[in-house]
Amino acid sequence: MTISKSTLRGSNRIKEIDKRRIVDETSRKRRQRKMMELLESDNYHEDPHADLVMSKKVPKFDDNLEQRSTRTKKKDRGTDYYQFKYRKNFQQLVDEDRVEADLNKRVSYMDIQCQDSSIPSRRFCAVCGFVGQYSCLSCGTRYCCIRCMDTHIDTRCLKWTA
Amino acid sequence: MNESFNAEPKTYSRLFDRSKMKRRRSSGVNTDRKSPKRESITALIVDNGAYNIKVGLSRDESPSIIPNCIMKAKSERKRLFIGNQINECRDCSGLYFLLPCERGYITKWDVQKPVWDHIFSRNVYPVDEKPVIMTQPLFNFMSIQDCIDEIFFEEYEVPSMFRLNPTDLARLKYTEDQKLPETTPCIIVDSGFSFTHIVPYIKGNKYLRGIRRLNVGGKLLTNHLKDLISYRQYNVMDETYVINQVKEDTCYVVENVIEELKLASKKDNSIVKNYVLPDFNNIRRGYIQDPSDTNQKEKEENCQILRLNNERFVVPEILFHPSDIGMKSMGIAEAVVESILSCPKDFRKDMSKHVILVGGNCKFPGFKERMYAELRSHLPYEWEVNVFLPKDSITYCWEGGASLLKVPNFKTFLVTKSEYEELGSTIIQQRFNTWMTDNSEPENQQEKTEETFCYLDKIKGKSIFGKQELGGNDLKPDDSNIATDSEKSNAMGLDVKAESSEGADQAQETAQSSENDKVKRSVQKNNESSESSFDESSDSFHNELINSVELFPFGTDSYL
Repeated sequence: MTISKSTLRGSNRIKEIDKRRIVDETSRKRRQRKMMELLESDNYHEDPHADLVMSKKVPKFDDNLEQRSTRTKKKDRGTDYYQFKYRKNFQQLVDEDRVEADLNKRVSYMDIQCQDSSIPSRRFCAVCGFVGQYSCLSCGTRYCCIRCMDTHIDTRCLKWTA
Repeated sequence: MNESFNAEPKTYSRLFDRSKMKRRRSSGVNTDRKSPKRESITALIVDNGAYNIKVGLSRDESPSIIPNCIMKAKSERKRLFIGNQINECRDCSGLYFLLPCERGYITKWDVQKPVWDHIFSRNVYPVDEKPVIMTQPLFNFMSIQDCIDEIFFEEYEVPSMFRLNPTDLARLKYTEDQKLPETTPCIIVDSGFSFTHIVPYIKGNKYLRGIRRLNVGGKLLTNHLKDLISYRQYNVMDETYVINQVKEDTCYVVENVIEELKLASKKDNSIVKNYVLPDFNNIRRGYIQDPSDTNQKEKEENCQILRLNNERFVVPEILFHPSDIGMKSMGIAEAVVESILSCPKDFRKDMSKHVILVGGNCKFPGFKERMYAELRSHLPYEWEVNVFLPKDSITYCWEGGASLLKVPNFKTFLVTKSEYEELGSTIIQQRFNTWMTDNSEPENQQEKTEETFCYLDKIKGKSIFGKQELGGNDLKPDDSNIATDSEKSNAMGLDVKAESSEGADQAQETAQSSENDKVKRSVQKNNESSESSFDESSDSFHNELINSVELFPFGTDSYL
């Protein structure tokens, strides 16, 4: 009863407390992983041609294909042929390779991955890039001064946690 | 770039004349080494990077650098830009990239194939009649190699082909240029677009147990810079192409970040630079603004200007401290030290004398100095540390292609089309994969591996094992390793071939190494004798192996 009353009243203080929840370790890790994935991505924006329907005349490389007249015609395969025949994604390739490498007792892709560093990490302010001594209470991001803290809370804090 | 391609389809004779003249000019000590027989091979050398393909004929002085991607522009909605066609694009803002590689390994064939079709077509670099030498990343996956084989041998119908790792080429180029013996231990740091590899070479072969990979490359750095600028100034998340240029133009590596940060935080410092972003109208490529140049001011009035401060050196810093962005992995210098220490003791000291930097990331100003400083502080005081940065670290590996052609008996390494048809992908891939590799185990780990491969213990005491011992014993003291023995002998055969021929070359040049040669020859003899006895028993060995398939839980008669 009391709880519903307080929410009805819409106390600002309670709302504020609700906002500044502390992100636990697992979601911090999830956020980190998401950021790493973003750093590996090829593009951030949508394909600008996505809504276009390509007509056959359009791609330039087809013109080049026709100039290779010396090759036998039947072996000129389309690009889809290879994509279809060798359509493994990266994870599949790695897994396959690991099994095969274990069998033959050879070094594989996974084995040569660098180990964890023994040097402790340095702390830089996520906002301005200088040395950041303090860390955000809710998400653990580093910052260097009150100004940067305010910017951080207004912009990025908890942005990647969902 | 464009003009060079228009000029490219010259007649064969004209190009040949030019190369002849070059040879005449460079007369002197080298002439007797370049016998006409060796010179006669001209090959197409392709350094197939994940972002740029470096391609050219072996007699060219430098390669053409062609982007290995298909790009889509916002402005021209009816056309794709393949490879260097991007030079025809007027407005490179908001380019959308289709990259063929995922973490450096080709997975999107629908992108890679058109790019290759473009490059190997008539008007760029036709593949007909010339052997193709191509690079592939370390431990390239089987399925990828199958596809490359199929494309090149079946569709492009190349007469012969050879594939190797870019670092192999760098090693060949380095030992040739520095006039070092082939066996010099060295360590190659290849920092490219997708990742950074650290590859130690012992006796001319790469030592597999010492290789380290760091998942930081140019792509990650560009994306990080994009993220920083978007957060602090303009939203440039869509402008990978432009920000990559910003990175190339402005970033540098410092020796001490904390000191540099202190400098950067002061009001008037030399670190802050204004970068004029291209508007693709008057300015096609961005540049660092020169505050003293007043003429430019008017032109730049309507342009967007980036103010870069600590971003300039914090971004490349990720290579040395991946922990700055939360990666747990060790940094590049730490990994080099680790790699050196994982090699057999006798070679470590010499290895630190030859640290070679290749790949685009090594072009950051100050990279070499930082590398030296870090290695110097990590390695023992008595060891000499030398870091070598080639003039152009991007094309250095490609340049090694010409050195590869000078390897005696190189023609015998090439896999011809008929060999491919006869032997199939698996066997020729083994020839590529085992070339210049040293898969030996470190001494102290042998007991451990026997435990883990317990299914092999079942074979012990069976009749095939007795036969295996006839030949296999000399090759490897570790008895349990029946699975790799046949492969191993294959590999050693090739290695010994390479080594012995290298040895012959050396004997001409230096009399000092004759002792080494003797040792090598005796090793070779041993191996030959063991191989021959292995061959005798191999027929019956093969039959029995096939009959005893149930001994192998994974159905593995394929490695024969």
